[in-house]
Amino acid sequence: MLLVLCLALACSVGCSPSERREGFLHLRLSANPTTLDPSLITDVPAALVAAKLFNGLVRLGEGLEVVPDIAERWEMSKDGRTYRFYLKAGVTFSNGREVTSRDFKYSFERVLDPDGRSPNAWVFDRVDGAREFRNGLSAGVRGFRVLGERLFEIELRSAFSPFLNMLTMTAAYVVPEEAVRQSGVGFSSNPAGTGPFVLKEWRSHQSLVLERREDYFAGSAKLKGILFRVIPEDLTAVTEFELGNLDILSLPAAVFRRFKSDPAWKDHIVSIEGLNTYYLGLNASRPPFNDPEVRVAVSRSIDRKKILETFYEGRGRLARGPVPDALRTWQIPPEAAATQSYDPAAARRMLAGRGLENFTVSLYVTADQEVVDLAEIVQSYLAGVGIRAKIRQLEWSAFKAAVNDGEPDMFWLSWWADYPDTENFLFPLFHSSNLGPGGNRTRYVSREVDRLIEQGQASRRAADAARFYQRAEESIIRDAAWVFCWHKADYVIKQPWVRGFRTYPVYSMDKGADVSF
Amino acid sequence: MGRYIIKRVLLLIPVLAGITFVAFLLLKAIPGDPVLNLVGERSSPEIIEQLRKEIGSDRGLLQQYAGYLGLLARGDFGRSYHTNRDVLSDIAAKLPNTLRLALAAMMIAVPLGVMAGCAAAYHKSGALAAAVEAFSVAGVSVPIFWSGLLIMLLVSLELRLLPPSGTGGLRFIILPAAVLSIPAMATLARVTRTAVSEVLVMPHVNTARAKGLTATRITLLHVMKNAIVPVVTIIGLDFGSYLNGAVVTETIFGWDGLGRFTMEGITMRDYPVILGCVIAGTVLFVLVNLLTDLLYHYLDPRVRLYDRKK
Repeated sequence: MLLVLCLALACSVGCSPSERREGFLHLRLSANPTTLDPSLITDVPAALVAAKLFNGLVRLGEGLEVVPDIAERWEMSKDGRTYRFYLKAGVTFSNGREVTSRDFKYSFERVLDPDGRSPNAWVFDRVDGAREFRNGLSAGVRGFRVLGERLFEIELRSAFSPFLNMLTMTAAYVVPEEAVRQSGVGFSSNPAGTGPFVLKEWRSHQSLVLERREDYFAGSAKLKGILFRVIPEDLTAVTEFELGNLDILSLPAAVFRRFKSDPAWKDHIVSIEGLNTYYLGLNASRPPFNDPEVRVAVSRSIDRKKILETFYEGRGRLARGPVPDALRTWQIPPEAAATQSYDPAAARRMLAGRGLENFTVSLYVTADQEVVDLAEIVQSYLAGVGIRAKIRQLEWSAFKAAVNDGEPDMFWLSWWADYPDTENFLFPLFHSSNLGPGGNRTRYVSREVDRLIEQGQASRRAADAARFYQRAEESIIRDAAWVFCWHKADYVIKQPWVRGFRTYPVYSMDKGADVSF
Repeated sequence: MGRYIIKRVLLLIPVLAGITFVAFLLLKAIPGDPVLNLVGERSSPEIIEQLRKEIGSDRGLLQQYAGYLGLLARGDFGRSYHTNRDVLSDIAAKLPNTLRLALAAMMIAVPLGVMAGCAAAYHKSGALAAAVEAFSVAGVSVPIFWSGLLIMLLVSLELRLLPPSGTGGLRFIILPAAVLSIPAMATLARVTRTAVSEVLVMPHVNTARAKGLTATRITLLHVMKNAIVPVVTIIGLDFGSYLNGAVVTETIFGWDGLGRFTMEGITMRDYPVILGCVIAGTVLFVLVNLLTDLLYHYLDPRVRLYDRKK
């Protein structure tokens, strides 16, 4: 009788979701999105979904240039401080109301509002009046100005060249005030935006169903909708893909070789050069790595090319500096590049010259198995030049806290672009105002680099900014502020029936509207 | 009996107070900061400080604990730091899935494990006994993440019989339940074999045989009834632990249960989620233990749960 009861219970509850929904694109999310409120999003799964639900004033074009989104055009003042945006007519939220410039003022102030608990307030930190507003000294941000129904102006405290690029970020999406007020904290799971899709259903930790909007201002999507399935385990996702239950999948490293060498699949794999830099961080705030010579010696002791070709099976590009090649518009001089070339004998001589032989340093890594394996490879290279690296594995937030506090001598980390601008690979990572949680976790301090980055930020023309950034990057490479390792590529596999699919280096670029079967 | 049950249920209150306090202490003792998981890769010390204030992690440990108990007293488990969702409703949504998976796994494990154990006890020297012995060792030794993936590849990819992942009805539950049942089945087979072997040589079984009773009757009435107590203990323990979530199985098969939810809470240092899951798990475990104790009494009247004179 107990068995019958059990059987009845086990079978009665819950309905079975069909494996495929007709006319829907089936995609995988590796984790449940934490929130779909643009002001709060910091995780990739949420940002991927939000890109389909929302729009901003501007977006990124195919060549990573800034192009119009809800704004049809914009003007920048001569001093580079003021941007005036002319909004398109007829752009509506999913509740049917037309977007006006007041919505942008509301949405942007919401990100800065201390009560909003947004971790993305830094995006608008340079807007005039932002700090007073955050400190409760003013009711609104004077730098956000509504000049008409479809005319919006933003004034910065000082010229800041990456600002337009930053407006393509998730935090700068527009949201309707009435929907936020009505839903309260529920807006996170019941969002309303201007995007090509609307959220129809979110079964937490299971799936999200997005349906096409017929009245999307840039032309409705080709498919009926998108079904995101939350599948945490890589190999399960691969099985689902092989069964045809997923249409597109980012290939996990464990199965890369199998698919790449399979004649049935190899032509359906597309690679994306990611805007990221993986590095071995050297704590520049104390000995021994406060000495640039010692840092150069460490750089020259590790054969990064070999690790990339063997351990990572060539899935990436060797880094020549912090800036990914896709963003760099200049050449790195050979004498700067030489600080990174593999030469253990030279490294040993350099260390001996500093009186450093057989010394011990700490190497902190996250508990990810791939990272631990890599750390052991790095450890053996360092041992070759007389550096004993003691590996310490920590859970992610404990690792982050230790690194932010400058605890380790060395650590393994990567940086992924917030927005595709060279500045994003220089200012947060090497400017002395960002030590620790701000991004400069190696605590590298150079007044010259600070000054060059600031001059780049204050330049009105991209070419002028690039000149300053070029000099800053050269300085950073000469100083061997990091051991610059590689820019990882992502490999995506698609089913033969998927058409119009393109890969993008920045996830917010993928609106999912062009894909068809 | 009724008073005994009420007493045991009331004992939950001090147990929960103790468990939450220990969990609180452990959460604070381990390295890591929930706010650093909230802010992403680029943040300012001001924002970090403000968020600490928001979630109350800037206050003293006892103050935080008292605040949490205050919430609990109002029947509120708090909100997740990350999703801002009500923890109690999330647990309530996931608990039925966990319950279904645990029940389904036990439905497979109990009959098969007990039957295999009985068969091995009756045929001690045969190939069957050797096979059960091998299974009972392999079943508890082979990790689920390995057996789970292999079974998934075979059943879902090669034979295309069942979906590899997802939370749903019968078709979705069979694979995870089968995989989850393996270790319990193996333990049950071993314990049943030992218990039945011990009973089989007892005089009352010989008496039953001498009376000319059928083998089925002897097994059910004279052997199993005496061997069942250790078996029930194992069922209670396994069922209790499955109700606390089968993290690996739920992750591999994308089953939306408490195990995955708890694990995600732990990796994200989402304290309200972790504490909520600890409380739910404790209540379930205590209730299953109570049920097991009551079953002991029913199955073996020699087991006294309380002093009748009082």
